[in-house]
Amino acid sequence: MSEHHITPLKTYLIIASLLLFLSGVTVWVSYVDLGPLNIVVAMLVATVKASLVAFFFMHLLWDDKKNLTLFLMSLMFFGIFVTITLLDTEFRGDLGLNPEVKNPINNRAAFYDTLPLTDTHGHPVDGHSDDHDKDKDHH
Amino acid sequence: MSDHNPNAPSHLKHYFHDVNQQYETSKFAMWAFILTEVLTFAGLFVAYIVYRSWYPDMFVDAHKLLDVNKGLTNTIVLITSSLTMALAIWAIQKNNKKLSVFMLVATFIFALAFLGIKYLEYSHKFEVGQLPGLYYSYMGPDAMHLNNPHIFFSIYFIMTGLHGLHVAIGMGLIAWLIYSTQKGNLTSEYYTPMEMIGIFWHLVDLIWIYLFPLFYLIG
Repeated sequence: MSEHHITPLKTYLIIASLLLFLSGVTVWVSYVDLGPLNIVVAMLVATVKASLVAFFFMHLLWDDKKNLTLFLMSLMFFGIFVTITLLDTEFRGDLGLNPEVKNPINNRAAFYDTLPLTDTHGHPVDGHSDDHDKDKDHH
Repeated sequence: MSDHNPNAPSHLKHYFHDVNQQYETSKFAMWAFILTEVLTFAGLFVAYIVYRSWYPDMFVDAHKLLDVNKGLTNTIVLITSSLTMALAIWAIQKNNKKLSVFMLVATFIFALAFLGIKYLEYSHKFEVGQLPGLYYSYMGPDAMHLNNPHIFFSIYFIMTGLHGLHVAIGMGLIAWLIYSTQKGNLTSEYYTPMEMIGIFWHLVDLIWIYLFPLFYLIG
């Protein structure tokens, strides 16, 4: 099938290096405090990486555009799914008619009251014990 | 058509006009499957978004219980495996069977490494009790103040677990590709299965690209 596009080796290597570089960037930027912008930057970097994978590794750039259309349709449905769900979950109780439905599940689950306190290894400790010394023994 | 054409290649099904139409049809169907895969994960991403908007502080604190180094290592492993998968297809397009098999074996080994690291992460979580729902029992000094961290771990385990299942299925498919290519069933004339499994494998990489920052790198 000689008519298929053969992506040059150089392209693959450049794309892979870019993906590795951007992975480093996204870890580095997560340690910089940008407030609410952190998640925006993280998702932007992830989307750039995902586009590189889709267009070059998955060959969408050279494919018939019907394949890209299908892929974009799945993302469009995801957008609709998120939007309509958030229209419910973000505005519960806002009309004030039924105040108890606001933050309906924000109470701590009951089973936490029966859980014993543990150290960082998951072993139960009694409240006032010298668990700091124990920790030092482990490390 | 090919029934009457003695020159038609053996891999051409009689209900297709020519090999190119057959290839394009397979690829379109594969993308339809990818669409259903995206929608499967979409439900889980929506669950993540809704619960994170309800518990913003708990998500930030609970994510500190995950190991960023293991997550980053797995990201590098998976991106590299995506490259070797792409190179396996590149090699078979150039009719270099030996290189193609080598790249497929490399992809398989990277996939195994990914699951190995995932196993280390999971077994640690099981040990300390950072588990989904009612199985959650971790009340360490870094978590005792958290409001419902079991929800974070429910979403973490179901999303990374379904992704891990995809990696395992991909490994089975790649093992079959190694066998077929070695046997000489796949050539530069006909490598459709490798192209399709390649698309599947890159999707697995693509989903991890989002899972990594969403679980390991929250602000």
